[in-house]
Amino acid sequence: MSTLRARLDAMRPSQAGPTRTADPRPPDHFPSRGNYRSYLMFGLGSSLMLLVSANLLRVVKSLGDGERAFDALLESFAHPLYLGFHLLAFVWLSWVALHFFALFPKTQPFRIGPFKRPPDALLVTGLRALFLLSTLLVTALLLGVL
Amino acid sequence: MRALMLKLEPIIWGLFGGGMFVGALLLPAFVLVLGVLAPLGVVTLDTGALFALARHPLGRLVCLVTIALPLWAGAHQLRHIFLDFGGLRYDGFLGALLYLLALLGSALGIVAVWNL
Amino acid sequence: MAEQKKTLVVTRFDPDRDQTPTTREYEIPVEADWKVLDALNYIKAQVDPTLSHRWSCRMAVCGSCGMNVNGEPKLTCKQPLSAYGERVEVAPLANFPVIRDLVVEMDGFMERLKQVKPWIIEAKEEAKREGTNRQSHAELMDFKQFSMCINCMLCYAACPVVANEPDYLGPAALALGHRYNQDTRDHGGVERNQILRDDGGVFSCSYANECSEVCPKGVDPAGAIQQAKLNNVLDWAKRFVVPRRKPRAPTAAAQSDEPGRG
Repeated sequence: MSTLRARLDAMRPSQAGPTRTADPRPPDHFPSRGNYRSYLMFGLGSSLMLLVSANLLRVVKSLGDGERAFDALLESFAHPLYLGFHLLAFVWLSWVALHFFALFPKTQPFRIGPFKRPPDALLVTGLRALFLLSTLLVTALLLGVL
Repeated sequence: MRALMLKLEPIIWGLFGGGMFVGALLLPAFVLVLGVLAPLGVVTLDTGALFALARHPLGRLVCLVTIALPLWAGAHQLRHIFLDFGGLRYDGFLGALLYLLALLGSALGIVAVWNL
Repeated sequence: MAEQKKTLVVTRFDPDRDQTPTTREYEIPVEADWKVLDALNYIKAQVDPTLSHRWSCRMAVCGSCGMNVNGEPKLTCKQPLSAYGERVEVAPLANFPVIRDLVVEMDGFMERLKQVKPWIIEAKEEAKREGTNRQSHAELMDFKQFSMCINCMLCYAACPVVANEPDYLGPAALALGHRYNQDTRDHGGVERNQILRDDGGVFSCSYANECSEVCPKGVDPAGAIQQAKLNNVLDWAKRFVVPRRKPRAPTAAAQSDEPGRG
């Protein structure tokens, strides 16, 4: 049984029936059961984007403020707490990306213009390959390799 | 507040979808290089080259969307997590607060990119 | 072969006597090919005639016998008893008020279903104007999967949003709304989309995807809802490009669109 509660008015009809009813329970094993767990991890992982993008904002701002500001910011990122957070964010966001692309195909219509939607497996593989490619590309660009 | 958010939901959802896509494709690489490899000293960044890259019109655009859109995605996801754990009563306040944060971050992103 | 026994832990609730639901255990002999429903029917017939549960067709068509089995929403006529160990927990569907034992209150679901206008709007008018409604195979495939729903409500029992947002129309109803919007014979897209994006509509869905996981007919309500979100965003954006016609006011003719009335 879940430790959470469902709202007492969940799925209630607008008019009460002739007999007293027992209160609704929330979905059993929410959020510990398999699919709910990955759903929650996905939600929490994507919420991390709030913090990660805020940090990227600081990076871009520091670039505008000059080389010293940028170096100082990167130096502050060497703090173990920052390092730990960024490492966690990298792993978690990569998983979020792979999971997102698995969920993505069926959000699209069966037909896009005159074309049929490609098979889900093909779309998922393609999107995941795109993720790998863009990660490599951005990494190479930032490192000045390209 | 909920009524206003409901009215704006198509835009918010559009920003959320875009944010998930951009965040999934670009954020891990940014975090890896700027948040892990460079601070650890595994790689050395050429600040001048980075500056030139970011100032390029395409670089500015990438910086802006990578800052702004994932903020909306994160705000939207966090709002739904609160809702899933019984936060409906506070949704008007919490949802608005989260989206305002995303809006503020997006505005600051535009300023930061402008000042590059 | 030795007779196999299993213990069914069944939720009981008598509104005249009990404050809250309790459980009762029944140890019964079972056959190898039994479904969960067979065990419940055995208990009702042989052990305890006071047990109440809904069922009808026994072939996963009527959608009556949905229950939570070991915590997961299942059609009990389809779910083999052999999938479980010695103890099997059978409870009424989660997220619904309980009338008695394993029987849940369905009226809230029926009301939500009606709200999305699950019928073809202006079908007769179109037929009068233009003759037979022709539909290509590709057009049919745009919605066929979503029309396979048997209203068993398993998706409602699995959805975390249903538990937390009382106005949420829910997976089956929203998927059905999308099904009619995708039907080329239908002309109610504008008015139905207003319902779909209103309070409790598609945008309340947080895409947990569990509705699709538990669906015994492969309908994929989660996919339908995300597609409906995309449609609504495009529909909403179009308003700024193309001036739209006003949604049709309900007329006597529209009322006659409702199945069973005209």
